[in-house]
Amino acid sequence: MTINLKTNQQNTWCPGCPNFMILESVKQTITKLINKGAKQEDFAMVTDIGCHAKIFDYINISGIYGLHGRALPTAFGITLGNPNLKVLAFMGDGAVYSEGIAHFIHAGRLNSNMTLIIHDNQSFSLTTGQNTPVSQQGYKSKAYPLGEFNKPMNPIKLALASNINFIARCNAKDIKHTAEILQKAIEHKGFSFVEIIQDCLIFNKEANNKDSLMYKIQDNKNKLKAEKLADEWDYNDRKGKIALGVLYCEEKPMLSEEWPQLKNLIKKKVGWKNK
Amino acid sequence: MRINILIGGKAGQGINKISEIVSQVLVSQGYFTFNYRDYPSLIRGGHNFNILSVSDKRVGSYETKLDIIIAMDENTIEKHKLELKKQGVIVGHKTLEDLGRNLNVALAGCLIKILGINKESLIDEVQKQFNSKESNSAAEKGFESQKQKFDLKKLNNKISIMAGSQAVAQGAVNSRIDLYLAYPMTPATGVMHELASNQIENKLMVFQPENEITVVNAGLGASFAGAKVMVGTSGGGYDLMTEGLSLQGMSEIPLVVYLASRPGPATGVPTYSTQADLDVALRGGHGEFPRVVIAPGDPIECIEKTNEAFYLAEKFGTLSIVLSDKHLAESEFSSDRKPKKPLKVEIKRKLLGEGIIKTSSYEHDVVGNTTENAKLTQENADARVAKYENIKKECSKFEMIKIYGKKNSKNLIIGWGSTKTVILDAIENLDYKFLQVLYVKPLSNEIKKEIQKADKVILVEQNVTGQLGRLIREKTGIKIKNRILKYDGRPFASDELKRGIEKIK
Repeated sequence: MTINLKTNQQNTWCPGCPNFMILESVKQTITKLINKGAKQEDFAMVTDIGCHAKIFDYINISGIYGLHGRALPTAFGITLGNPNLKVLAFMGDGAVYSEGIAHFIHAGRLNSNMTLIIHDNQSFSLTTGQNTPVSQQGYKSKAYPLGEFNKPMNPIKLALASNINFIARCNAKDIKHTAEILQKAIEHKGFSFVEIIQDCLIFNKEANNKDSLMYKIQDNKNKLKAEKLADEWDYNDRKGKIALGVLYCEEKPMLSEEWPQLKNLIKKKVGWKNK
Repeated sequence: MRINILIGGKAGQGINKISEIVSQVLVSQGYFTFNYRDYPSLIRGGHNFNILSVSDKRVGSYETKLDIIIAMDENTIEKHKLELKKQGVIVGHKTLEDLGRNLNVALAGCLIKILGINKESLIDEVQKQFNSKESNSAAEKGFESQKQKFDLKKLNNKISIMAGSQAVAQGAVNSRIDLYLAYPMTPATGVMHELASNQIENKLMVFQPENEITVVNAGLGASFAGAKVMVGTSGGGYDLMTEGLSLQGMSEIPLVVYLASRPGPATGVPTYSTQADLDVALRGGHGEFPRVVIAPGDPIECIEKTNEAFYLAEKFGTLSIVLSDKHLAESEFSSDRKPKKPLKVEIKRKLLGEGIIKTSSYEHDVVGNTTENAKLTQENADARVAKYENIKKECSKFEMIKIYGKKNSKNLIIGWGSTKTVILDAIENLDYKFLQVLYVKPLSNEIKKEIQKADKVILVEQNVTGQLGRLIREKTGIKIKNRILKYDGRPFASDELKRGIEKIK
């Protein structure tokens, strides 16, 4: 079977944007999973609104180009609508940590089978560079000419506190490693969260080029160690170390294993129409 | 013949059980009942009351003058004694106080005796509800403690009792709903509880997410994947949902919304009733896109119209809103009419897993990919308008309005939703025709013709600005000058409404 993940849509990302690399990682991951037996029609993606979300137009899989901040609930709905699908939600750091934060916190508790992929460039870039909850202190944007007064939140710590059972971080520039992690995330049973650190070539450039702080770790299953790894970088200064890889992973019963209605659909390998 | 019984007490004392037992016994004897529930937003204490109306004919309202007061506390007597008719009866709690938690069952027994119904019917019902000797004996004690005052002989009517919430749930089940999503909010929650209670048997799932924003977005995701979805809420939750309604308009994913109103703005008067959310049902959500808004007026219509909402949503990939309110959702209506055979709601579109299907919140091309092209932007907007024209055509196959009362009368009353049954009661002996609007969007062309035929037109609504009246004026250019509007959160009493109608010359 030939796999065609390309679309005819003209790409409108800025030249050289790391989103191109994320797109490549995602395509490689999907190709690998299809080669392992998954069907292209069984993938569904939901994207948010922002630069990252344009990925919707560039991959030939099913999905919904959702509302700003709402990719998670829409993707969650798809998992309820057919628990046999492989569901990917793409969000930017602005969308998920601002407008969509409630959904992020609840995603760990709900533990539905899907993967959240965050494109984190510490900036609202498509709206011309305003501060997000993970922008570093002092960052001056057109909205905050006085500079950001607050310290950024640490999404990895929040994910751990929210009982998200699969937490990973990648560097957009490392396509091969990102694809490996994405595959593990998709194959994880339950909710998985992958944060991809990326540069923005236009806005908040001070936050770019953190590669020298990054190092790769082996998959970690120890929660205490995960908390330490999360503490190594506070998303604010250029000190500390940025651990990449599976920062925490644990298998817990997922939503579709708890609800008898969904269990039935998985057992029969059908959607509600043939319940 | 009509008897109005007020049953009052503190929240938690079990007044609803009295209404339920007595209503069931009355229905088994062939009598029509209507039970209005009045309660503040608290869980224990306070003052709750029901007004149970009994008739040998169809009844769908209460009256302001009472024949019987059943009081589970002194407060009930204090608050309502002035509403009692001269020959009225008060049954206090004091004589039966030693019955403790069975006081309500005993008071039900009292009522049955006063109404002149046999003891066996009472004990049968209490046995069915509690299966407890203690309860049976409490009912008997209550029965024996009273003197008969009325003489309700058995009639041959076949009647069943239903609240609007149960009926909307039934309409959804008849449409083979797969998924109901809702966040708790009075008075919409009844549907969630009803559907949840039998979800396994009915092969559906009820899920309560973190907020209404998730409710609507997840609802669209699930519907896109292939589930038949309804989401439910009241005003404030609906406000949160509106961005999702707009997403529906662009993505054309089928969605049914159940909207049960309560008085606003904001938190308003949460456990009382209003018809103030018609405007927002018609227009909530940015941009221009088609939708259907249907307002059933009694539980049988709730069953039928909820089914039509599912049918239209799926057939046209549209938003269908079923508009109700606290009075319709929570009052218990009796009827001898059976709902029509449900329409089959078939999913014919391609579903996830069956191919590559894309849709979007952006303006998009046929594949589902984003476009900012001027021509396509305009064409898509035209297509949405054209879709609405097709929806209108399809809706004309259904009952969009109904005419009641004296069909040749030159006097016309127009109303919608939960005021239907009280209007019917109020005009029973008057020279009036009643036009009930069921489809608020699209609005029937017949309305204009009916108004033009009439000499006198009165608008009856339970809101302060006459929202249906404004809509009719927008669509027909006709301003209805006579308006009877009530907006204190309490539904019309039929005698009160009748007086209002008679005042208009």
